[in-house]
Amino acid sequence: MVDDERPVLELRGITKRFPGVLANDHVDFDLRRREVHALLGENGAGKSTLMNVLYGLYSPDEGEIRIKGDPVRMRSPKDAIDHGIGMVHQHFMLIPVMTVAENIVLGNEPLDAGVLLDYGAARKRVEELARTFGFRIDPDARVEAITVGQQQRVEILKALYRGAEILILDEPTAVLTPQEALELFEILRTLVREGMSIIFISHKLGEVLEIADRITVLRRGKAVDTVPRAGATEEGLARMMVGREVLLRVEKAAAQPTDPALRVEDIRVLDDRRLEAVRGVSFEVRRGEIVGIAGVDGNGQSELIDALSGLRHPTSGKVRLGDRDVTGASAGQILDLGLGHIPEDRQRRGLVLDFTLAENIALHDFDRPPNSRFGWLFPKRMIRRAQGLLRQFDVRGGGAQTRAAALSGGNQQKVVLAREMARDPKLLIAAQPTRGLDVGAIEFVHRRLVEARDGGEAVLLVSLELDEILSLSDRILVLYEGRVVAEHGPDVTEEELGIEMTGGRGKEAVA
Amino acid sequence: MIARAEGFEPRTVLARITSPRMVGIVGIALGVIAFWLALPPVTVRSAPAPIALGILAVAAGIWAFARGERHVGGGAAVAGVVGIVGALVTMQSTTANLKDVFVWSALAAATLRYATPLTFAAIGGMFSERSGVVNIGLEGMMLMGAFFGAWGADKTGSWVGGLAFGIAAGGALALVHAVFSIHLRADQIVSGTAVNFLALGITGYIYNDVYGNNGTPNDLPAIPDVNIGFLDSIPPHALGNFLDGAFGSLNLMIWIALALLPVSYVVMFRTAVGLRIRSVGEHPRAADTVGISVYGTRYAAVTLSGMLAAMGGVFLSLGFVNSFTENMTAGRGFIALAALIFGGWRPFGAFAACVLFGFSSALAQRLPDLSTSESAAWPVLFQTLPYVLTLIAVAGIIGRSIPPAAVGRPYKKQ
Amino acid sequence: MTEASKPPPPASSPETIPSVAARLAFYQRAGGVITPLLTAVVAFFIAGLVILVTTHKNPLSTYRAIFDGTGLNWFFHVGSHSIGLPFSDSRVWFPWDTGSAAAMNLQQTLIVVTPLILTGLAVAFAFRCGLFNIGGNGQYTVGAVVAVQFGIWFAGLPGPLHVLLAMAAATVAGAMWAGIAGLLKATVGAHEVITTIMLNWIALWIASYLVGFGGPMQDPRQISAPVTRQIAESAKLKIFWGNALLQGLHIGIVIAIFALFVYWIVLNRTTLGYEVKAVGFNPEAARYGGISVARNYFLAMAISGAFAGLAGAIDILGWEFNLDLTEVQSVQIGFIGIAVALLGRNTAVGVFLSAILFGALLTGTSTRNLDPTIFKPELAGNLTRIIQGLVVLFVGADLIILYLWQARRKLPFARKADQR
Repeated sequence: MVDDERPVLELRGITKRFPGVLANDHVDFDLRRREVHALLGENGAGKSTLMNVLYGLYSPDEGEIRIKGDPVRMRSPKDAIDHGIGMVHQHFMLIPVMTVAENIVLGNEPLDAGVLLDYGAARKRVEELARTFGFRIDPDARVEAITVGQQQRVEILKALYRGAEILILDEPTAVLTPQEALELFEILRTLVREGMSIIFISHKLGEVLEIADRITVLRRGKAVDTVPRAGATEEGLARMMVGREVLLRVEKAAAQPTDPALRVEDIRVLDDRRLEAVRGVSFEVRRGEIVGIAGVDGNGQSELIDALSGLRHPTSGKVRLGDRDVTGASAGQILDLGLGHIPEDRQRRGLVLDFTLAENIALHDFDRPPNSRFGWLFPKRMIRRAQGLLRQFDVRGGGAQTRAAALSGGNQQKVVLAREMARDPKLLIAAQPTRGLDVGAIEFVHRRLVEARDGGEAVLLVSLELDEILSLSDRILVLYEGRVVAEHGPDVTEEELGIEMTGGRGKEAVA
Repeated sequence: MIARAEGFEPRTVLARITSPRMVGIVGIALGVIAFWLALPPVTVRSAPAPIALGILAVAAGIWAFARGERHVGGGAAVAGVVGIVGALVTMQSTTANLKDVFVWSALAAATLRYATPLTFAAIGGMFSERSGVVNIGLEGMMLMGAFFGAWGADKTGSWVGGLAFGIAAGGALALVHAVFSIHLRADQIVSGTAVNFLALGITGYIYNDVYGNNGTPNDLPAIPDVNIGFLDSIPPHALGNFLDGAFGSLNLMIWIALALLPVSYVVMFRTAVGLRIRSVGEHPRAADTVGISVYGTRYAAVTLSGMLAAMGGVFLSLGFVNSFTENMTAGRGFIALAALIFGGWRPFGAFAACVLFGFSSALAQRLPDLSTSESAAWPVLFQTLPYVLTLIAVAGIIGRSIPPAAVGRPYKKQ
Repeated sequence: MTEASKPPPPASSPETIPSVAARLAFYQRAGGVITPLLTAVVAFFIAGLVILVTTHKNPLSTYRAIFDGTGLNWFFHVGSHSIGLPFSDSRVWFPWDTGSAAAMNLQQTLIVVTPLILTGLAVAFAFRCGLFNIGGNGQYTVGAVVAVQFGIWFAGLPGPLHVLLAMAAATVAGAMWAGIAGLLKATVGAHEVITTIMLNWIALWIASYLVGFGGPMQDPRQISAPVTRQIAESAKLKIFWGNALLQGLHIGIVIAIFALFVYWIVLNRTTLGYEVKAVGFNPEAARYGGISVARNYFLAMAISGAFAGLAGAIDILGWEFNLDLTEVQSVQIGFIGIAVALLGRNTAVGVFLSAILFGALLTGTSTRNLDPTIFKPELAGNLTRIIQGLVVLFVGADLIILYLWQARRKLPFARKADQR
C-alpha cells in the first residue's frame, strides 16, 4: 500500500527554541506516499511544535523541509497550503456562527461577478468532495449545531478543498468517542486509498498501533526512533516515550466507604444556551470512596459540576451535602459548607495568576479569622499559613510571596490542591485534575487524591481520560447526554465504558 | 451530543393569540398609542384615555414578564410608562404649540438630519467591530472630520475638497488607533479613549490657531441639498405635502448615507470580503490558518470606520450647521456605537436605532416651542432623551445582542 | 523553576487576555517608575515638536513659561524666610517664601491637583476591579450639585459639621450615580464604558436644567444669570495658605491626600480590597472561589463614584462656592482623571504624582498664568489635551513596555509573562 519511492515529505534536523526550552532538537522525520505515519510522544514532547513548523506557523531555527525532494521555506500556513499540506488542529479552527460551506471555502471563495460570494457553487463543491471521500455532511448547517465528530470532518474537508495531499492530524481522537474514532480511521483509510499521506499525532498507544504504518517517537524534543508497526508493542513504545517503566495503575488499598457526603437527587440543569444538559441525574458519593464520572466532553459533566458547586442552579431536583440541602445555594455558601473544588482549568478558574501564592491559598477564607477580622486583612498571617502548606505539598518554583504566574503548570496545580485539601472538605470535586501535567505531577495528584479518600473524604472525579478514571475510581458512573446510563465497579473494561459513553448497550435510564 | 430541547408542540390559533409573547407585543403597541393619542392630529386633551391605555400596557408587560417573556414584557412596561408620561407632558401645552412642534414632515426631515451623522459612524463602527476591533474612538474621528472638513472647504474653496480633507483626517486618526490596537495590542478601549483626547486637542489647537476668536467664516462652502420637485404633486394631497416636507430638500450627504445602507449590507453579508472580515472578528486564528491576513483585514476595517465616521462629521460642519465649534460632536460618536449595538451590528438595525435617536434629538430641539410659560427650564431635560434611550438599550431591556466573538481581543501571531 | 516552561501552544487552549488591571500591574512590575516617566517624557517631546512645527517657537522656552506658571518653581528659590506655626503666633525659619508670586501660583496648582487626585483615584479604583469608569465627569457634577444644595441648606450648623454633611452627601450622590452603571453591569452585564458615558451626558443636562435659566436651583436674585446661590459661610473649607480673598489653598488638599491613604488601605488591608483585586485580575477564578463578581462590580463602581463625587464637593466648598451653567457644561476633570490613573498605574503614589503633573499643566497653561506673547493659552490648553491623549495612548501599548523590559534583563521571564 505504501509507496516505497522517494518520500513525499522530509524534515531534516529541525530545531526550534523557545525561551527556556528546546522544543525540537535536530529532529528528522520523513513521510512516504500513501502512508499513515504516527508521531507519538507525551505532552510537551514537541510533536505539535514540529507540525507547526511544517505548517508554517513557526519558523525553525535550524533544519530544512523538503517536499518531493525540493527544499521549501514555510513562512506561513499559506505556503504550506500551496504545497499541498493540510492540517486538522486539535482545537478546531472553525467559526461557530458560520455554515459548514462558508467555513470550508473561507479564504478561497468561489466568486460571482468577481465580488459577490457564490454560495451555491460553494455548496456544490462541498457536496462533491464529501461524496468522493465517503462522508455525509450538511453544507448549510451552522458549525455550532453539528457534533464534534462532524466538525472534525469539516476540518478534513477544508484541507481537501484546498488540494491537500499531505494531511496532518493533531490528536484527532482527543474529542471523539471510541466509536467515532473507529469511523475516523475508516475515513483515513479511504483517504490513503485515494492517494493521501497522513501524519497522525497522538499520545495514545493503542490507537497508534491500530492505524499507523510507521511510528516515530519523540521525547523531550528529540526523535527517539522510528519503527514500523509490525513488531511494535505498547510496552516498547511506552518505554521509548517516557524513558522508564511506566506505572499504568495507581496502587491503592480497597475502599472503605462510610456514610454519604453527597446525595444528588434527580437534578436537571440547563446549559448556557438554556437547553437541558443534565436530565435527571441521581447518585451519591460516600466518604472514603472515589466516584469517577466517565463521559465524552460535552455530555453534561461541566454543567453537573457547576450545579454541585453552586455556580449554576438546578431547575429541579435536590443536592445534599452531608445532611444539608444545598440546592440553589451560592458557590460561596457551598464552599463554606465543606466543598473542595479543583476546577477544570487551573489558570482561568483555579488561580488568580497575578496574586501571590499566599493570596491564592487564602481565596476561600480571606474573609474570616485568622486571615482577617471585621474586614481588616492580615497579610502576614496569610503568608505564614501558606508557607506551611507549600512545604507540605512540595510546591517548587517560588515561595508564598511569588506570583502564581511564575510557577509551572504542575506546581500551580499543587497550589490548587493544597488550598482545597487543606480545608478538609467533606466532598472534594476534582475536574480534569491532571490536564496538561507531566507524568511526575500526575503521579503526585493521583497519590494525593487517594490519600484524601483514605483519610475519609469523599472524592468525585470527573475526567476525560479513561485511564485516570479506571485507575483511581472505586465506582464509575457513565454520563451520556445528561443521564447516568451505567454504573460499574473498578474492573470494567475500556471498551465497555466506551460503548456506554456513546449510548450503546448497557442500562439506559428511563427516557 | 448535548441534549436538545423538546420539539415544538403544534400551536392552535387561540394559544397563539393569548401567548405571553403576543400579550407583550400588544402591550408595547398600547403604550405607543397612549402617547400618540395626545399628539396632533388626534390631540386628546383629557387624561383618562392615555392613562388607561398606558396602565393596560404596563399590565400587559407584567403579565408577559411573569410568564417568561422578559424582554417583550419589560418593553411593554417601559412603553406604558413612557406613554403616560409623554401624554401628560404634551397635554401641558396648547394645541397650537403642539401643532407647531409636531409638523410631522418637518420632524421627519429633522430626524433624518440628526440621524445621518450617527448612521455614518454606526456603519463605520460595524466594519471595525465585525473585524474584531472595538472602536470607542468614533467620536474623535467624527470630530476630526468635522473640523478638517470645514478647514479643508475653506482652504480649497469647495465642499468636495473639504470632504476629502475630512475623510483623510478621520482615516489618519483611525490608523493611529489601528496601530496601537492591532500591532501593539493595546487595550482597545484605552486606545480609543486616547484617540478621542487627541482629536479634541488637535482640532481645538488648529482651530484656535487658524480661526482664533472669530470662528469659522460665514461663507463656508456647504454641501448642497438635493431638491426633488415632483414630490408635492403626488396624490393624495396630504401625502404629497408630507413627502415634500420630509424628503423634498434633504442634504446630499443624507442621501449618501441612505445609499450606504444597502451597499454596506451587501459588502458585509454577500461578498467574500465581508465573509473574511467577519471570520477575522469571530475566530481570528481560524482565519489566519486559511491564509487570511488578520492584521491587514483589521487595519482596513478600522481605517474605513474612521473615514466613514469622518464623513458624518463633515456633514455636521458642512451640511448641517455650516460652521465648526470646539467639541461640536457632543457625544454623537458614542450614541452611534450604542445604535450599532442596539441594531445587532447590522446596517439596517443600526439605522433603525439611529432614526430613533435622531427622532429624540429632533424632538428635543423643537420642544422649547412646546412650553406655555416664558422661561420654563424643563425642556432642557429632553436633551437627555438620546442618552437615556441608549442606557435602556444597552441595559438589554429590549433584547440583548451578541457581538462578534473575538471583538475587543488583540490577536497575537506566533 | 525546576521545570522548563512550555512553548506557547497554538490554540491548544483559548488565549487568556489579561484584564486591564493585570496588564497595568504587569507594567508596574516591569517598569517601576521608569516607564511612566518615559511615557510622560515622550509625550512632552511630541508635544514639543507640535509647538515647534506650528508656531516655530522654542518648545523649551514654552515649557519653561508653563513651568513658571505652575508655581513648581517655588521649590527652586531657596532662601531665608519665615513661616507661622499653626495655632500660635510665633514664627520659625523656613527655606521658602510663602508669600511670593510663585507661591501663589503653587497654591493655584494645588487647588487644581486636589480634585485630580480624587478623580484619578476614582478611575484607578475601578480599574483595579477591571472596570473602566469614564463617568468621572458626571459623578463629579452630581457631587458638585449636591454639595451646593447642602451648602445652601443647613446654614445654621457649626462649620465643621456643615462641611462634613455636604461632603458626605456629595460622596453618596457620586457613589449612587456611578452605582447605576455598576448595577447595570452586575445584573445585565451592560458594558460600563457605554453606560458611564451616557450617564455623563445625562448628568450634564440635568445639572444644566437645575442651574440654568428658570431652573429650581437658579439664584432668584440674579434671574439674568444661570447661576446658583452661594453656599453658606459655614460650609466653606478653611484656607490655610495664602490670602482668602485671592483664593488661597484650602484644606481640600489634605482631604485628597487622606483619600490616597484610604485608597491604599482599602486595596491592601481590607477584605473588600482583596475581593476587588481578585475580580479585577480574574473574574472567573474569583467566581469559582466563591466571590460574588456582581457584588464587587457594583461596589467598585460605587466607591469609584464616591471619590469623584467628593472631588466635586471639594471644589465647590473650597473655592467655587456656587455653580453656574458654563462651569457645568465644561467639566473635564473626570476625563483628565483617566490620564492621571493610567499614568500612575492605578497606584496611590502614582496617582499623586500624575495628578501633580497634570494639575501643573492645567494651571501653567491657563490664561491667568501663561504669558500670551510666549504662547497662546487656548493653544496651550489644547496642547495639554494632546499630551493627555498621548499619555493614555502609550499606556495602552503592551509591546513598547515589553521591548523596554526585555532590553533590561530576564528574557525568559518577560516571555513567560507575555504568554499570559
